[in-house]
Amino acid sequence: MEFEVQTAIKIAAYAGGGIAMGLGAVGAAIGEGYTAARANLAVSRNPAISGDIFKNMLVGQAIAESASIFALVIAILLLFMDTGNASMLKAAAFLGAGLSMGFGAIGSGIGSGYPGGEACYGISQQPAAGSQLTTNMLVGSAVCQTPAIFSMVVALMLIFIDFGNVPLSPTWAAFVGAGLSMGLAAIGSGYGGGLAAGASCEGIARTPQSVASVTTIMLVGQAVSQTPAIFGLLISFILMFKSFPESSVLATPMALLAAGLCMGFGGIGPGIGNGMAAEGAVRWVARNVEHSNDLMRIMLVGQAVSQSTAIYAMVISLVLIFVV
Amino acid sequence: MGELGKLHQLIIPVFGYNITINLEVVIMTWIVFILLITFGLIASHKRQILPRPIQAGGELIISVLYGLTEDALGKQLARTYGPLICALFMFLLLSNWLGIIPHLEEPTKDLNTTLGLGLMGFFIAHYAGIKSKGFKAYIKEYFQPIFFMMPLNIIGELAKIVSISFRLFGNIMGGSIIILVVSHLTYSLVLPPILNAFFGIFVGTIQAFVFTMLTVVYISVQVK
Repeated sequence: MEFEVQTAIKIAAYAGGGIAMGLGAVGAAIGEGYTAARANLAVSRNPAISGDIFKNMLVGQAIAESASIFALVIAILLLFMDTGNASMLKAAAFLGAGLSMGFGAIGSGIGSGYPGGEACYGISQQPAAGSQLTTNMLVGSAVCQTPAIFSMVVALMLIFIDFGNVPLSPTWAAFVGAGLSMGLAAIGSGYGGGLAAGASCEGIARTPQSVASVTTIMLVGQAVSQTPAIFGLLISFILMFKSFPESSVLATPMALLAAGLCMGFGGIGPGIGNGMAAEGAVRWVARNVEHSNDLMRIMLVGQAVSQSTAIYAMVISLVLIFVV
Repeated sequence: MGELGKLHQLIIPVFGYNITINLEVVIMTWIVFILLITFGLIASHKRQILPRPIQAGGELIISVLYGLTEDALGKQLARTYGPLICALFMFLLLSNWLGIIPHLEEPTKDLNTTLGLGLMGFFIAHYAGIKSKGFKAYIKEYFQPIFFMMPLNIIGELAKIVSISFRLFGNIMGGSIIILVVSHLTYSLVLPPILNAFFGIFVGTIQAFVFTMLTVVYISVQVK
């Protein structure tokens, strides 16, 4: 029996590492490709400053890469982790960590490609605003990484925290559910944040004097579009740290797994939708700076309505955890 | 890696209940208070028309934040809420930066701090809303667009507290966990200072600004 538990843990660690890196490679590659495509367009429009555009492209791609690097760190940790004589529960935790990081890196990777690409194109249109564009791109794509950072935190907690003596039966599902909840919910938020950041780079290139209002509204818009990922984080914290009584019925673990899935999938759409609202607001603030307050209010109200579906998902997840 | 998820707590039993105090957080918060008050006293000491560098720095922070508050809330309300917003931003900024000094920790790494600040913003926003619209119009908003949306509107408002406080907490705690794990893996060579600069200074500044702006925005949504 001793041997079998250790084998199962190893299987889960390798599977988790594979999932983390395999899915984690998807987003960043797409995002970087978008940046490179826009950089090509920019160079063909304004070949005279191809050096600046090339530099900016590389910086943008380096940041878009970070979601994948997070996934790489988690994958290496899972592959070379010394498991010692851990209990069977660690297997579920490793699988959850892989799921959380793998799914969580997709959205941020794709999203942070947008500001890079738009900044490259903006530099070709408005070379004088180059430094403002690069700064805004850095801020925007760094905020895009937040969902991936949350996913990495959940993954690291699942890997390293010693959860002590908890019953195996419902807790394994709680750990896998925690990973799914955080990982899936991060997809939409990361992508949506990228849309807002991309629109802000485009807007600054169009009207460089609007940079203060555009960056402010971009940050607020991105922050609100991260809310679904934050709900995912909340649900996975509850799943990880609530102590569940032992149960031999299969229904209890399935309810916890379903709670994770519900919050995870429920977070994808609102994240993207909120990002679109922020994108529109940022784009039009750049063209109409005097009315930025009205635009921000409309954006926030629209985002609140679009967010209500994430709140429904959270309510159902909480019901699944605490009532069912 | 034992430090992950462990806290130093002072537990005082009072009539069968345990009052738990996270000692580190309280001490670090007081350090931030003392640093901020010292900065305020030095910056405003012997004010001159031609400001010294530290006075100019203080004036810069205040005027930028006051301007942002004025843009969102209008001249009248900015007089009431401007000082609060400036104080909130400076407190958060210093709290988020504190972790880059060895042996000190960010107070914002603890959910109690951020949840407290989030609750403060929530109550202030709703107080401002009741004050400017009147109680009747305020209650009426919860029954929009149809009366049975009331419970969901209330959950939506409460979710704002969750989102604003978990955003700051997650970012700061995430940064510190990543720094802890990477330091452990690389024996504290080369990488941790770079990570400290990114998560401590860069992300810390952005998140302090986002938290402050969202508090302003929540007030302005309630007022209008």
